[in-house]
Amino acid sequence: MSDTSKRWILLVAALAIPLVLVVTSAASAQSRLGASKSATRDVATASVANDAYCTPELKAIVRRVAGACGLLEGGGGGRGCQPLQAKKVAALSGRDFNAMFKPLMNRAHIIQFDSTKAELDPAARALVEKAWSDQRGASFFFIVSRSSPDGDEQYNEALSRDRAKSVLDYLDQKFHDEDLKKEAGLLWLGEEFAQLSDEFCSWNRSRSGSCSRADINRSAFVAWIDCAI
Amino acid sequence: MVALAGALVGAVFSGLSTTDFMAHLDRQVHAIHCSFLPGAAKEIAESGCRTVMMSPYSSFFREQLWGGVPVSLWALAVFAFLAYRAGLMLWRGQTSSGETKVLLVATVLPVLMSVVYGVLAVYKLDALCKVCVGIYAASAACFVGAFLAHRAQNPWSGARFGPALVEGVGLVAALTLAYVVLVPKPDPRTSMRGCGSLVRAEDAAGVMIPLAPHAGGAASIEVLDPLCPSCKAFDARLAASSLGERLDLNGVLFPLDSTCNWMVTESIHPGACAVSEAILCAAGVRGGTRNAAEAGAVLQWAFARQAELRELAARNEGALRERIEREFPGVKGCLGSAVVKSKLTKSLRWAVANAIPVLTPQLFVGGSRMCDEDTDLGLEYTLTRMLSPEAAQERARRRAAEPPRAPPPPPPTVAAELQPAVAAEPVAEVVAKPVTPEPSLAPAPPPAAAPSLVPAAADAAAVGAPSPAPADEKVRP
Repeated sequence: MSDTSKRWILLVAALAIPLVLVVTSAASAQSRLGASKSATRDVATASVANDAYCTPELKAIVRRVAGACGLLEGGGGGRGCQPLQAKKVAALSGRDFNAMFKPLMNRAHIIQFDSTKAELDPAARALVEKAWSDQRGASFFFIVSRSSPDGDEQYNEALSRDRAKSVLDYLDQKFHDEDLKKEAGLLWLGEEFAQLSDEFCSWNRSRSGSCSRADINRSAFVAWIDCAI
Repeated sequence: MVALAGALVGAVFSGLSTTDFMAHLDRQVHAIHCSFLPGAAKEIAESGCRTVMMSPYSSFFREQLWGGVPVSLWALAVFAFLAYRAGLMLWRGQTSSGETKVLLVATVLPVLMSVVYGVLAVYKLDALCKVCVGIYAASAACFVGAFLAHRAQNPWSGARFGPALVEGVGLVAALTLAYVVLVPKPDPRTSMRGCGSLVRAEDAAGVMIPLAPHAGGAASIEVLDPLCPSCKAFDARLAASSLGERLDLNGVLFPLDSTCNWMVTESIHPGACAVSEAILCAAGVRGGTRNAAEAGAVLQWAFARQAELRELAARNEGALRERIEREFPGVKGCLGSAVVKSKLTKSLRWAVANAIPVLTPQLFVGGSRMCDEDTDLGLEYTLTRMLSPEAAQERARRRAAEPPRAPPPPPPTVAAELQPAVAAEPVAEVVAKPVTPEPSLAPAPPPAAAPSLVPAAADAAAVGAPSPAPADEKVRP
């Protein structure tokens, strides 16, 4: 074989082998790219929380309450719930209304007040902070305040309203959070509707020690509601 | 003989490197070779070989061609040329000092390139690429073999560099041309537009961290997790790219850690919530001027020891928090506080408001989301297009054409019936206002429609979708 032939054979081999590699790799990448374009991607989208306890029935009630209490835009924002309205909107007995919040046992906090008072003590303030900062994916922050049945109804209604406001004012002062006005809703129930039973004494409270039915109702029940409604 | 063996080994290593590089032209993640033994140990995990391959030094012309032309392709062409020259000498059974001189000079090129790339790998990338080391060793073997062959020649004769140069350049040019012609080309309009856009880009809650402020740069947002390896790699690529200077880059923290992130069912990166809190504390949680330097210091510290911090947090998150406080005493009192936890939640809710995928890292340029598949090899190509005046015009046109934000839904019937009675009550005390209506009440998309796959304007409707697996990197085949 001539020297020139040897040269050409080797030169062609030196070009052809890498060329084949480039051609096959490019064709393979092109084919996979075409296939992947038609395939769907399976990546979650960032969304608010919708916990397992958010049954359709619960969502309906939360939505009714939230709408009637001015939490939803278009529901006449800037209003609040009076005991009568809350009862009517919930369309539930007091016991059933409270039962609705039972799945929130590990999420809710009960802020306790002194008799006839609406001021937060240091433990109450710490618990309010803790509760608000644990929003996670929740959309609604409910502040449901009550009073014990001592005294007359009108006084107790005003007292429970002041307790709810006290919680809200503290949150505003502590966090300066614009979303507070969009996410926090107040229900003041006075003594008329959905009084808490003793069993709520075992929930996460701002005060330790003895807890009577009257004590647990001198309170504001605060909780994030993890329902996308 | 030694030169031929070196050239063949070098061709095998550079061929493997080239096929690994070209496999990624399908915009997905693949296992790559990373061993001193040619063809052994293909792995998908992070490795020195992957770091080097994804770095801007692995290819040229990245702004013109998606991924650029890999330098390993040119190495392959050079080794093929050396193998041809050395093989020809062996086949003939005789050679001249002129020919060995040509071979010796030709082997200097891979040796010089090996030195340059070795220095870059060690000092710039801090990565050991075993395949690259194989190429460096093969280059040295070629040089030594050519040197020995040349020294054995007697008598001396003149070298013919011209024809050899033509052959060598011809080989490189032919392979380059074939590569440029044959590789998959992206749709330039998709590269320019990106994959989706932000619907609420504004930082009302003050959660953004200044990452790389460049006055006059394009407003950009990186969604990141401080303990996510892909985010670290992306950060390094962006820092190494000259295009990074054209971005006014802010970060939104999105830790893939179930301790604070309800969108993940388990802690993909344990400790990411604690580190994110530390970054927010360092930046200043109370708003006003953000401390970019301090926040950046915490982020870079976390990037540098991700695996260690993740392991520590998996064992005991409290210990991680103590470690952070020891390292950055300034965050004491803030780390773990209600205020910073609330701020971190706001950061996550920014992602919810924009219905972005549960995935890190993500880059938004002027509100447009860079497609996931473009965040590594295609970074420079895509960024060049997203930063072009045409892309800015396109974004402006799209914003102008967007319908106004959807009005809130009507109140429920029962509530509506009650309104007159409620409205009669005093209103001054009441603070309750609407709740994040748009995301939670928007219709859900079909389960498979991730934002990166739907038209930009459809993104806002994605909230509330069923939640498949979160991800911290591109799709793997």
